[in-house]
Amino acid sequence: MRLAAGARRGTEIWLLQRASALLMAVCLPLLLAYVLLQGPHDYWTWRALFAPLPAKLAVLLFVAAMLVHGWIGLREILIDYLHPLALRLALYLASAILYLGCLVWTADILWRVAP
Amino acid sequence: MSMRAARPYHLDLFRIRQPIGAWVSILHRLSGAVLALAVPVLLYAFMLSLRSEPDFDRLIAFLQGGVVHSLLLGTIWATLHHLLAGLRHLGLDLGRGAQRARARQTALACLVLGVGLTGAIAIWMM
Repeated sequence: MRLAAGARRGTEIWLLQRASALLMAVCLPLLLAYVLLQGPHDYWTWRALFAPLPAKLAVLLFVAAMLVHGWIGLREILIDYLHPLALRLALYLASAILYLGCLVWTADILWRVAP
Repeated sequence: MSMRAARPYHLDLFRIRQPIGAWVSILHRLSGAVLALAVPVLLYAFMLSLRSEPDFDRLIAFLQGGVVHSLLLGTIWATLHHLLAGLRHLGLDLGRGAQRARARQTALACLVLGVGLTGAIAIWMM
Protein backbone atom coordinates (compact mmCIF):
# COMPACT_ATOMS: atom_id res chain seq x y z
CA MET A 1 0.00 0.00 0.00
CA ARG A 2 2.76 2.43 0.97
CA LEU A 3 4.44 1.69 -2.34
CA ALA A 4 1.29 2.46 -4.30
CA ALA A 5 0.69 5.79 -2.60
CA GLY A 6 4.23 7.12 -2.32
CA ALA A 7 6.73 8.79 -4.60
CA ARG A 8 8.75 5.63 -5.27
CA ARG A 9 7.85 5.07 -8.92
CA GLY A 10 9.80 8.21 -9.66
CA THR A 11 11.60 7.83 -12.96
CA GLU A 12 8.76 6.93 -15.34
CA ILE A 13 6.52 9.57 -13.82
CA TRP A 14 9.31 12.17 -13.91
CA LEU A 15 9.84 11.38 -17.60
CA LEU A 16 6.11 11.47 -18.39
CA GLN A 17 5.83 14.88 -16.72
CA ARG A 18 8.71 16.26 -18.82
CA ALA A 19 7.40 14.67 -22.04
CA SER A 20 3.90 16.10 -21.55
CA ALA A 21 5.43 19.49 -20.65
CA LEU A 22 7.49 19.55 -23.86
CA LEU A 23 4.52 18.48 -25.96
CA MET A 24 2.45 21.34 -24.53
CA ALA A 25 5.31 23.84 -24.91
CA VAL A 26 5.50 22.94 -28.62
CA CYS A 27 1.73 22.66 -29.23
CA LEU A 28 0.59 25.81 -27.42
CA PRO A 29 2.35 28.37 -29.68
CA LEU A 30 1.22 26.42 -32.78
CA LEU A 31 -2.41 26.30 -31.60
CA LEU A 32 -2.34 30.00 -30.63
CA ALA A 33 -0.89 30.90 -34.04
CA TYR A 34 -3.58 28.78 -35.76
CA VAL A 35 -6.34 30.60 -33.82
CA LEU A 36 -4.95 34.15 -33.80
CA LEU A 37 -3.69 34.37 -37.40
CA GLN A 38 -7.25 33.79 -38.64
CA GLY A 39 -8.87 36.10 -36.09
CA PRO A 40 -10.66 38.12 -34.87
CA HIS A 41 -13.44 35.57 -34.65
CA ASP A 42 -17.20 35.44 -34.48
CA TYR A 43 -19.00 32.22 -33.55
CA TRP A 44 -18.94 30.76 -37.06
CA THR A 45 -15.24 31.37 -37.83
CA TRP A 46 -14.36 30.14 -34.30
CA ARG A 47 -16.38 26.99 -34.88
CA ALA A 48 -14.83 26.44 -38.34
CA LEU A 49 -11.37 26.31 -36.69
CA PHE A 50 -12.25 22.99 -35.05
CA ALA A 51 -13.96 21.38 -38.05
CA PRO A 52 -10.87 19.79 -39.71
CA LEU A 53 -9.82 16.42 -38.28
CA PRO A 54 -6.14 17.47 -37.77
CA ALA A 55 -7.31 20.42 -35.63
CA LYS A 56 -9.51 18.10 -33.51
CA LEU A 57 -6.63 15.67 -33.04
CA ALA A 58 -4.15 18.45 -32.17
CA VAL A 59 -6.46 19.90 -29.51
CA LEU A 60 -7.21 16.43 -28.11
CA LEU A 61 -3.48 15.62 -27.94
CA PHE A 62 -2.79 18.92 -26.18
CA VAL A 63 -5.57 18.35 -23.65
CA ALA A 64 -4.42 14.75 -23.04
CA ALA A 65 -0.88 16.00 -22.30
CA MET A 66 -2.32 18.73 -20.06
CA LEU A 67 -4.39 16.20 -18.08
CA VAL A 68 -1.47 13.78 -17.65
CA HIS A 69 0.77 16.67 -16.57
CA GLY A 70 -1.87 18.04 -14.22
CA TRP A 71 -2.52 14.66 -12.63
CA ILE A 72 1.19 14.11 -11.97
CA GLY A 73 1.44 17.62 -10.49
CA LEU A 74 -1.54 17.04 -8.19
CA ARG A 75 -0.01 13.69 -7.18
CA GLU A 76 3.24 15.42 -6.20
CA ILE A 77 1.39 18.02 -4.14
CA LEU A 78 -0.63 15.28 -2.39
CA ILE A 79 2.57 13.31 -1.63
CA ASP A 80 4.16 16.42 -0.11
CA TYR A 81 1.29 17.71 2.01
CA LEU A 82 -1.32 14.99 2.51
CA HIS A 83 -0.02 12.19 4.68
CA PRO A 84 -3.04 10.08 5.73
CA LEU A 85 -2.75 7.18 3.29
CA ALA A 86 -6.43 6.42 2.71
CA LEU A 87 -7.24 10.07 2.04
CA ARG A 88 -4.30 10.42 -0.33
CA LEU A 89 -5.29 7.31 -2.32
CA ALA A 90 -8.91 8.46 -2.44
CA LEU A 91 -7.87 11.82 -3.91
CA TYR A 92 -5.50 10.13 -6.43
CA LEU A 93 -8.40 8.06 -7.62
CA ALA A 94 -10.94 10.91 -7.58
CA SER A 95 -8.64 13.18 -9.61
CA ALA A 96 -7.84 10.34 -12.06
CA ILE A 97 -11.56 9.73 -12.65
CA LEU A 98 -12.22 13.47 -12.97
CA TYR A 99 -9.43 13.90 -15.53
CA LEU A 100 -10.42 10.78 -17.48
CA GLY A 101 -13.90 12.28 -17.64
CA CYS A 102 -12.37 15.57 -18.87
CA LEU A 103 -10.64 13.73 -21.72
CA VAL A 104 -13.87 12.06 -22.84
CA TRP A 105 -15.67 15.41 -22.47
CA THR A 106 -13.07 17.14 -24.67
CA ALA A 107 -13.50 14.52 -27.40
CA ASP A 108 -17.28 14.98 -27.16
CA ILE A 109 -16.99 18.79 -27.42
CA LEU A 110 -14.70 18.54 -30.45
CA TRP A 111 -16.58 15.85 -32.36
CA ARG A 112 -19.88 17.72 -32.01
CA VAL A 113 -18.38 20.24 -34.44
CA ALA A 114 -19.30 18.71 -37.79
CA PRO A 115 -16.44 18.57 -40.31
CA MET B 1 25.61 28.99 25.83
CA SER B 2 22.96 31.70 25.70
CA MET B 3 23.94 32.39 22.06
CA ARG B 4 23.35 28.72 21.26
CA ALA B 5 19.97 28.66 22.92
CA ALA B 6 18.81 31.69 20.90
CA ARG B 7 19.22 29.86 17.58
CA PRO B 8 15.97 28.75 15.98
CA TYR B 9 15.14 25.04 16.10
CA HIS B 10 13.12 25.01 12.90
CA LEU B 11 12.80 26.84 9.63
CA ASP B 12 10.24 29.60 10.08
CA LEU B 13 9.20 30.12 6.46
CA PHE B 14 7.75 33.54 7.26
CA ARG B 15 10.99 34.88 8.76
CA ILE B 16 13.55 33.50 6.31
CA ARG B 17 14.27 35.79 3.37
CA GLN B 18 13.77 33.41 0.44
CA PRO B 19 16.19 33.54 -2.51
CA ILE B 20 14.59 34.56 -5.80
CA GLY B 21 14.73 30.99 -7.15
CA ALA B 22 12.55 29.87 -4.25
CA TRP B 23 9.87 32.41 -5.19
CA VAL B 24 9.87 31.19 -8.79
CA SER B 25 9.59 27.61 -7.55
CA ILE B 26 6.80 28.34 -5.05
CA LEU B 27 4.84 30.28 -7.68
CA HIS B 28 5.44 27.44 -10.18
CA ARG B 29 3.73 25.01 -7.81
CA LEU B 30 0.98 27.48 -6.91
CA SER B 31 0.22 28.34 -10.54
CA GLY B 32 0.28 24.63 -11.40
CA ALA B 33 -2.23 23.80 -8.66
CA VAL B 34 -4.52 26.65 -9.76
CA LEU B 35 -4.34 25.56 -13.41
CA ALA B 36 -4.95 21.89 -12.55
CA LEU B 37 -8.11 22.84 -10.64
CA ALA B 38 -9.18 25.30 -13.39
CA VAL B 39 -9.20 22.61 -16.10
CA PRO B 40 -12.91 21.64 -15.72
CA VAL B 41 -13.92 25.33 -15.67
CA LEU B 42 -11.89 26.05 -18.82
CA LEU B 43 -13.36 23.00 -20.56
CA TYR B 44 -16.85 24.20 -19.64
CA ALA B 45 -16.07 27.58 -21.24
CA PHE B 46 -14.69 25.79 -24.33
CA MET B 47 -17.89 23.72 -24.54
CA LEU B 48 -20.08 26.86 -24.33
CA SER B 49 -17.98 28.63 -26.99
CA LEU B 50 -18.73 25.88 -29.52
CA ARG B 51 -22.30 24.93 -28.53
CA SER B 52 -24.31 27.76 -30.11
CA GLU B 53 -24.03 31.37 -31.27
CA PRO B 54 -25.96 32.82 -28.26
CA ASP B 55 -23.76 30.79 -25.87
CA PHE B 56 -20.63 32.08 -27.63
CA ASP B 57 -21.80 35.72 -27.38
CA ARG B 58 -22.84 35.29 -23.74
CA LEU B 59 -19.45 33.75 -22.88
CA ILE B 60 -17.55 36.64 -24.52
CA ALA B 61 -19.67 39.18 -22.61
CA PHE B 62 -19.15 37.21 -19.37
CA LEU B 63 -15.35 37.13 -19.84
CA GLN B 64 -15.31 40.91 -20.27
CA GLY B 65 -16.94 41.55 -16.87
CA GLY B 66 -14.64 43.21 -14.28
CA VAL B 67 -14.05 40.39 -11.78
CA VAL B 68 -14.14 37.63 -14.41
CA HIS B 69 -11.72 39.60 -16.59
CA SER B 70 -9.28 39.78 -13.64
CA LEU B 71 -9.66 36.02 -13.08
CA LEU B 72 -8.97 35.46 -16.79
CA LEU B 73 -5.81 37.58 -16.59
CA GLY B 74 -4.81 35.65 -13.44
CA THR B 75 -5.20 32.39 -15.36
CA ILE B 76 -3.12 33.82 -18.24
CA TRP B 77 -0.40 34.87 -15.77
CA ALA B 78 -0.47 31.40 -14.14
CA THR B 79 -0.07 29.79 -17.58
CA LEU B 80 2.82 32.08 -18.57
CA HIS B 81 4.65 31.78 -15.26
CA HIS B 82 4.20 28.01 -15.18
CA LEU B 83 5.49 27.72 -18.77
CA LEU B 84 8.51 30.00 -18.20
CA ALA B 85 9.48 28.46 -14.85
CA GLY B 86 8.91 25.00 -16.37
CA LEU B 87 11.29 25.71 -19.26
CA ARG B 88 13.80 26.97 -16.68
CA HIS B 89 13.43 23.70 -14.75
CA LEU B 90 13.92 21.67 -17.95
CA GLY B 91 17.15 23.62 -18.53
CA LEU B 92 18.26 22.88 -14.97
CA ASP B 93 17.50 19.16 -15.54
CA LEU B 94 19.99 19.30 -18.41
CA GLY B 95 22.47 21.17 -16.25
CA ARG B 96 21.98 24.43 -18.13
CA GLY B 97 21.87 27.64 -16.09
CA ALA B 98 22.69 25.89 -12.83
CA GLN B 99 25.48 28.31 -11.85
CA ARG B 100 24.35 30.63 -9.05
CA ALA B 101 24.54 33.93 -10.93
CA ARG B 102 22.89 32.52 -14.07
CA ALA B 103 20.16 30.76 -12.07
CA ARG B 104 19.32 34.06 -10.36
CA GLN B 105 19.14 35.85 -13.72
CA THR B 106 16.77 33.29 -15.24
CA ALA B 107 14.64 33.31 -12.08
CA LEU B 108 14.28 37.09 -12.33
CA ALA B 109 13.51 36.75 -16.05
CA CYS B 110 10.65 34.30 -15.26
CA LEU B 111 9.09 36.71 -12.75
CA VAL B 112 9.49 39.80 -14.94
CA LEU B 113 8.42 38.15 -18.22
CA GLY B 114 5.43 36.45 -16.59
CA VAL B 115 4.05 39.72 -15.25
CA GLY B 116 5.21 41.78 -18.26
CA LEU B 117 3.64 39.52 -20.89
CA THR B 118 0.40 39.35 -18.86
CA GLY B 119 0.36 43.16 -18.85
CA ALA B 120 0.98 43.25 -22.60
CA ILE B 121 -1.89 40.80 -23.20
CA ALA B 122 -4.17 42.87 -20.93
CA ILE B 123 -3.43 45.96 -23.03
CA TRP B 124 -3.88 44.02 -26.29
CA MET B 125 -7.30 42.77 -25.12
CA MET B 126 -8.58 46.33 -24.40
